[in-house]
Amino acid sequence: MKILKDKVAKLSFVALLITMTAAMFYTPTASAHGEKSQAAFMRMRTIHWFDLNWSKEEVPVNDTMTISGKFFVFSGWPETVDKPEISFLNIGIPGPVFIRAGSWIGGQLVPRSVSLELGETYEFKVLLKARRPGDWHVHTMLNVKGGGPIIGPGKWVTVTGSMGSFVNPVTTLTGETIDLETYNLSNTYFWHAAWYAVGLLWIAYWARKPLFIPRSIAVEAGKADTLITPADRKVTLAFAVGTIAIIAVSMASTNEKFPITTPLQAGLLRGIKSIQLPVPTVAVKVEDATYRVPGRAMQMTLTITNNGDSPVRLGEFNTAGVRFLDPAVAQDETGYPDDLLAEEGLTVSDNSAIAPGQSRTVQVTASDAAWEVYRLADLIYDPDSRFAGLLFFYDAAGNRQLVTIDAPLIPTFI
Amino acid sequence: MSASQSAVRSRAEAVKVSRTFDWLILFTLFFVVLGGYHIHYMLTGGDWDFWTDWKDRRLWVTVAPIVSITFPAAVQACLWWRYRLPFGAVVCILGLLLGEWINRYLNFWGWTYFPVNFCFPSNLMPGAIVLDAVLLLTGSMTVTAVIGGMAWGLLFYPGNWPIIAPLHVPVEYNGMMMTLADLQGYHYVRTGTPEYIRMVEKGTLRTFGKDVAPVSAFFSAFVSILIYFLWHFFGQWFASTKFVEAA
Ligand SMILES: [Cu+2]
Repeated sequence: MKILKDKVAKLSFVALLITMTAAMFYTPTASAHGEKSQAAFMRMRTIHWFDLNWSKEEVPVNDTMTISGKFFVFSGWPETVDKPEISFLNIGIPGPVFIRAGSWIGGQLVPRSVSLELGETYEFKVLLKARRPGDWHVHTMLNVKGGGPIIGPGKWVTVTGSMGSFVNPVTTLTGETIDLETYNLSNTYFWHAAWYAVGLLWIAYWARKPLFIPRSIAVEAGKADTLITPADRKVTLAFAVGTIAIIAVSMASTNEKFPITTPLQAGLLRGIKSIQLPVPTVAVKVEDATYRVPGRAMQMTLTITNNGDSPVRLGEFNTAGVRFLDPAVAQDETGYPDDLLAEEGLTVSDNSAIAPGQSRTVQVTASDAAWEVYRLADLIYDPDSRFAGLLFFYDAAGNRQLVTIDAPLIPTFI
Repeated sequence: MSASQSAVRSRAEAVKVSRTFDWLILFTLFFVVLGGYHIHYMLTGGDWDFWTDWKDRRLWVTVAPIVSITFPAAVQACLWWRYRLPFGAVVCILGLLLGEWINRYLNFWGWTYFPVNFCFPSNLMPGAIVLDAVLLLTGSMTVTAVIGGMAWGLLFYPGNWPIIAPLHVPVEYNGMMMTLADLQGYHYVRTGTPEYIRMVEKGTLRTFGKDVAPVSAFFSAFVSILIYFLWHFFGQWFASTKFVEAA
């Protein structure tokens, strides 16, 4: 019995310690590596990122780099995800290893949330200033209210140097230049320390005298009133009056020192400009699409009709940021992340140019380990087993046009 | 030694044991309150307390005092009615702020590298001192709830203003005006906190124009009074020894 009691006591003590420390160990989410665990249909049927460019692969602390490109807000947006009426252009990095020095959609600075339209393509740019050395996976990212984070492709970027040398100078509208990295820090420490000290003094005043047992006995004996002396009352009054006086004086001196302050700024930005892509002259009909589980390959039968005036060939299939290319038609020259690039991943049963006015049915295979690695194959376990993506057609002069496809996908297991 | 015998043999020894108990109880109280109060405050006040760009004139001013008067009221009830000790609120805030500072310094800054000038906790000490003082001076729960609870709500914003005012200096950034606090929120990327979940400057107090902070503070003060009553009863019930008294 005694052993049992000891065990219970010990366990409850451990539980108490855990509860106490749990709160102290809370850390804001820093990791951005949710990309693979995000449902495949989310990545395939919401935001299509393309023409992405990470301007540098190595950046010294205090230097900047940009991530630019376009994203297409998919017209067949899934019903289970809220529409991007309130969304935020974010950046997927593990905490503030870079600072976001600027972010733009359609040339408009977007520190706030924005309203986006389905079926539109937007041009974006994020300017990052390196802060903390290390190898960081830098993802494009769009948060959608009611839909969660939609993580785009990521590329490894190395930051060199030391964080100690990082500075973040900002010039205020009152004409002062400050370093936002350390600004107001000593003021914050000062006031917190000062008030903490007042609190400790208050406890110390009472802890001079015996605390719990004698006082409890006195209270129970009906002599509670004798426990508070007239001196106690005077000291207490001094603490109360002193507190209010400190607040009044510090308020006044603060207002004198910072006569111009404004409220926090917030609100939704509407009317973000999209870019007008030329209406595609190629029409694509998906006859069927299957995913062969053992072969890690997706096969589609497409009927392609060229309504334009120059012959075209299919060069790329892009879905969830994975790019499948036919090297005979299209190559990547932007340094796109290797794991998301299948340079020879696209095979077309007949990829000779389709002449104007001509229509052809072809077998297209997109195969790469990325299907597994990026868990896109999990699509077949989604409640709405459809896939979607972008097809890029090229003519002989290198002109590109973009066609979106959206169709059901049937898995084959043999 | 049988249970009826005393553990101490002299007055000096009794005093020593009593004093040892004082420190043991105070120490335990401090850390138990720290743990419980810290979790409670993080779950209810959360982001409003974590980030400077959430410390606005409407919601932070309203929410923080209301959710933070809870534990002080309960601990006051226990310490005052059983021991006539008037430091329940201050001991709570000392615990809470210690826990918060450890968390912000080690985790927000040390682990995730958010600058401390962006993620420091709110200052709750002035309200706590006045709350304790009112309890001692009046010895009445009702007056403490009304006057102390009111002070708790009203002193919150002015008690924090000297710390946050420098961050409310405006800046022009790429053609937009924002405060330095907004800029901190924009610069120091929080991947898990998109801008739209930031609840600031929302509400229906628009007609008060720029004097919205005092209005919010008064509203907060009134609700703080109600919450004080509620949690004072929790504290009294919690401190009751009815259940363990010998029959
Ligand atoms: Cu990643």
